[in-house]
Amino acid sequence: MKHVIIGTGAAGISAAKTIRILNSNDEIVMLSADSIINSRSMLHKYISGERDSASLRFVSADFFDANNISWLTRKVTSIDTASKQVLTDAEPISYDRLLIATGANSSTPPIGALQTAVNVFGLRHFTDAESIKRASERAEKFVIIGAGLVGLDAAYALIEQGKRDITIVEMGDRILPVNLDPQAAASYQDLFEKMGCKFLLGARVTDTVTSGDVVTGISLESGEILDCDLVIVATGTRPAIEFLADSNIAFERAITVDENLRTSVPDVYAAGDVTGLSGIWPNAVNQGEIAGRNMCGDNAVYEDSFAMKNTINFFGLLTLSVGKTVPEEDDVVLIREDRRNYKKLILTGDTISGVILQGDISQSGFWQHMVKNKISIAGKNPWKLSYADFYSTKENGEFAWKTG
Amino acid sequence: MKRIIIKEEECDGCKNCSLACMQAHRTNSGTLYDLNLTDLANESRNFILAVDSGYAPLFCRHCDEPECVRACISGAMTKDPESGIVSYDEEVCAKCFMCVMSCSFGILKPDRATSQKVVKCDFCAQDGYDPSCVKSCPKKAILIEEVTA
Amino acid sequence: MNKCYDCNICTSADKPLEEFIAGLPMETAFHRVESQSTKCGFGLQGVCCRLCANGPCRITPDSQRGICGADADTIVIRNFLRAVAAGSGCYIHVVENAARNLKDTAISGGALKGLGALDRLSQKLGIFEDDPHKKALLVAEAVLADLYKPEYETMDITKKIAYDPRYHKWEELGILPGGAKSEVFKAIVKCSTNLNSDPVDMLLDCLRLGISTGIYGLTLTNLLNDIMLGEPQLRMAPVGLHVIDPDYINVMITGHQHSIFVDLQERLISPEVIKMAQDAGAKGFKLIGCTCVGQDLQLRGAHYTEIFDGHAGNNFVSEAVLATGAIDAVLSEFNCTLPGIEPICDELLIAQICLDDVAKKANAQLINFVYEDRERISNEIINQLISSYSTRRGSVPINLLPEHGNTNTLTGVSEVTLKAFLGDTWQPLIDLIVAGEIKGVAGVLGCSNLVSGGHDVLTVELTKELIARDIIVLTAGCSSGGLENVGLMTPEAAQFAGPKLRAVCEQLGIPPVLNFGPCLAIGRLELVATELAEAIGIDIPQLPLVLSAPQWLEEQALADGAFGLALGLPVHLGLPPFVTGSSIAVKVLTEDMKALTGGQIVINPDAKESAQLLEEIINEKRAALSI
Repeated sequence: MKHVIIGTGAAGISAAKTIRILNSNDEIVMLSADSIINSRSMLHKYISGERDSASLRFVSADFFDANNISWLTRKVTSIDTASKQVLTDAEPISYDRLLIATGANSSTPPIGALQTAVNVFGLRHFTDAESIKRASERAEKFVIIGAGLVGLDAAYALIEQGKRDITIVEMGDRILPVNLDPQAAASYQDLFEKMGCKFLLGARVTDTVTSGDVVTGISLESGEILDCDLVIVATGTRPAIEFLADSNIAFERAITVDENLRTSVPDVYAAGDVTGLSGIWPNAVNQGEIAGRNMCGDNAVYEDSFAMKNTINFFGLLTLSVGKTVPEEDDVVLIREDRRNYKKLILTGDTISGVILQGDISQSGFWQHMVKNKISIAGKNPWKLSYADFYSTKENGEFAWKTG
Repeated sequence: MKRIIIKEEECDGCKNCSLACMQAHRTNSGTLYDLNLTDLANESRNFILAVDSGYAPLFCRHCDEPECVRACISGAMTKDPESGIVSYDEEVCAKCFMCVMSCSFGILKPDRATSQKVVKCDFCAQDGYDPSCVKSCPKKAILIEEVTA
Repeated sequence: MNKCYDCNICTSADKPLEEFIAGLPMETAFHRVESQSTKCGFGLQGVCCRLCANGPCRITPDSQRGICGADADTIVIRNFLRAVAAGSGCYIHVVENAARNLKDTAISGGALKGLGALDRLSQKLGIFEDDPHKKALLVAEAVLADLYKPEYETMDITKKIAYDPRYHKWEELGILPGGAKSEVFKAIVKCSTNLNSDPVDMLLDCLRLGISTGIYGLTLTNLLNDIMLGEPQLRMAPVGLHVIDPDYINVMITGHQHSIFVDLQERLISPEVIKMAQDAGAKGFKLIGCTCVGQDLQLRGAHYTEIFDGHAGNNFVSEAVLATGAIDAVLSEFNCTLPGIEPICDELLIAQICLDDVAKKANAQLINFVYEDRERISNEIINQLISSYSTRRGSVPINLLPEHGNTNTLTGVSEVTLKAFLGDTWQPLIDLIVAGEIKGVAGVLGCSNLVSGGHDVLTVELTKELIARDIIVLTAGCSSGGLENVGLMTPEAAQFAGPKLRAVCEQLGIPPVLNFGPCLAIGRLELVATELAEAIGIDIPQLPLVLSAPQWLEEQALADGAFGLALGLPVHLGLPPFVTGSSIAVKVLTEDMKALTGGQIVINPDAKESAQLLEEIINEKRAALSI
């Protein structure tokens, strides 16, 4: 059996590991466009200089050798599902089972010269990080479009480099709008502002000022023009499926998969961001595992799709955010604050539907389980909750949840 | 694999396991007598919480399918296929604390003094994988047993 | 498989004893060490507070104050003061009973065996009276009057017993004790819930309690007992379990209050009582020394050759003594009466009688000693002894250890007999020290515990290390019991001494380790130190003298230690008291104390290292004296 995996990100690597554990003899071929394995969640640390290309790896240096995996740097051009071949910029590669785990690409809006200028970058691939790092050496004025995690990662990296003239433009009314409520967001905004960043919230980019193929200014709806040497666009991503155009693998915005992560074509699977199911690391790893198992003949179901969760760490201020960040009708909001902490719980009936812990996030992992599984807290003080309230052990000594 | 099996009904909440853990992981040398109990850098990797029925001793389970490993973006958290031990490498860690969020049992935590690393049971690797907590329990409420993964 | 209870026992410096205990079919403290080897770290550091309903509170990096706000220093030092106060209370109880017994003896015209001691003490106290009984009454009343003073009235005798320069130092520090009982009372008040939180204030109280403990509980108890029971006399005596002769009705005595036994000792050797024993099938009665009251009896053994066959062992030997099966009753009046003897007594049908309810054992008969009722009490005890002997002998197996111990341990060493031995002057000893033939003096004091390497292990090893460095060792307390049973108090032990000390010992025919007897005799060592300092014309802290309680066990030892610090002496301990959770306590006790009184605590669990540290201190003191 020959398994081909396109993509060496979280989902691809995890699928390869899973296949190798299940079948020690199957052939595994992995294809990637980047020539280095890197954790995209750490790319900003390359820009900041905290890590080099080697330390961006999230698997050991001998991963491919140790697992007897062929790793080829190839750009995939299309897939011929009839002949079961992946076509590349070099030789075609045949497969018995194929996993598409190509992730996503930055999505740059078609505004002015953003999509074409040489000093405008997304931050999604190692090549992006390399380009930003190189270009930032000669740049002083930065504009970042989008104040989500990627935009702030980029800002953080530039600050670490010693850059101070950084303007972040965000359409929403707060930074990190997906992850945080206004108060928790304001704490980070404050920290970034103390380092010299400027935030323009509720602001919309309408055009660019260019000089040749270089953007020298970003025009806002307000009429303001932000001078810039370098622009980072962090407004979102789209699944990396450009090579599927001629295949018969069904997709809309992302590849269509069933609960077993099978695509519309037999023996072709998809996992990770390319499925559009979730954009966060642990879920991509989990999808890789599920797909890997099924490629080996299992019938595993991707169930743990809860993705409203994240942790944030800027300037040593930690935040855990799980579930809703703002309440809906009939929800009850509980807030506690002290000198070091902001804690918010959103209660929906007898369950917790949202948690924000900013400050101390020690031993807070049980919240995800509570929210995801809608565990009843009836009769319990929500501020005193811990896993201890649901403590039980399995035969093999592992912990389990005792509910009801 | 070996696992620290917990007999919570035996626990008396003395926290000797927590002290033993702090002593085993202190960075300077010394005895339990001079372990600095007001130094934030001394942290236990286990936690004894009081519950209605007694105590809930929370010890890393080195889970068969560890969520912390699944959540790790840097490869700092790994499960050894042979020993089953889930290890944390501070040097590799990217300090994102996704592992803290992902541990359903609330065992993992950022270190208190700096929030720059994860505090996690290492099965007393430095002591030949002979956990100090187990040795310190006067009630034998925690013991090492071979379990099937 | 065999009949041994459990072969997993703690070690002992006394190997035959260790073997004997390993073979016993019953549980002893030696067996319980392993199962108690997990110590609570909070307890070890002294940072657990149980003073109020909010507690117990414990200090951790996450919880640096108790709910009330008490920090580690307050919690630790409050606990420590409580312990010192309790320890002081114990010794003050002992001196109070000694003084009361002397008073009653004086009033009733009873025997006063130590008239020389009476003369010396009355002279010191400024009591001039020809009639010994009247004089004894005045002495006893003076002591009691001091003990019963309120805390705000300084006790009078302190100044008369203490060395002048020390007294002035204490006065300067404001730590002269008021009434000794009231001082305990006040300390207990201070360290109750939400009262004193000042670490230094409480540590000064520890010193104050140390002084009242030392001058009264220790020094005066000896001197009062000497008057009633006779003065120590140098002699060679048998020690160890071999002193137990199964042909007699044997009574193991435990405690610290020798004067309670005055009447009984006499009665047990009276012909009519011996006749009772003979009728029961025994040759007579014997008291078997155990713990400090046994040391007391041994010290004055010259007066009691008929009733007392020798000292069997210290605190943790008591279970083994009973396990021989040849003991018919335990008479206890104070600590160290281990609760562990109770099941052994039950199993071996040994009668247990307590003579002071402060030490009432759970399944013992309580016959509180009252002086006026002494004859009736003695009769009752004698009847119990005979009845116990008759019931148990024949049905209980005898398991002796006839080879244990030795027969030529030098005993009877006191501030008086030692000076007399030297020719009624300290000069020969001073000359030897000045000449470097004796490098210095170490008091190896206190108890045995089972966790400093094992029973008497550190005590014996440290003592060997010290004498090998030509440092002469004086002992008082259970350390004496351990050291004598391993033979270090026989003249032959000179071979373990360094060449210079060995030569001195061989010339004088004495061992390099001199036995002053019970822990109370720490007071006698203080008298020796005072007299030496006086003879040289220096203060006590300047003497090349160190103290060590290598295997301290009890709260009393902490009060003794506080006295050592008040005297300005270095005090070595094998294990720290439960104070290491407080940086202030550690700093004051181990460093700052040097500037206050001249004293210091030195903690080290290793015999070689400890001896090295103590030798260095002695060398420093010698250098400061230019010798």
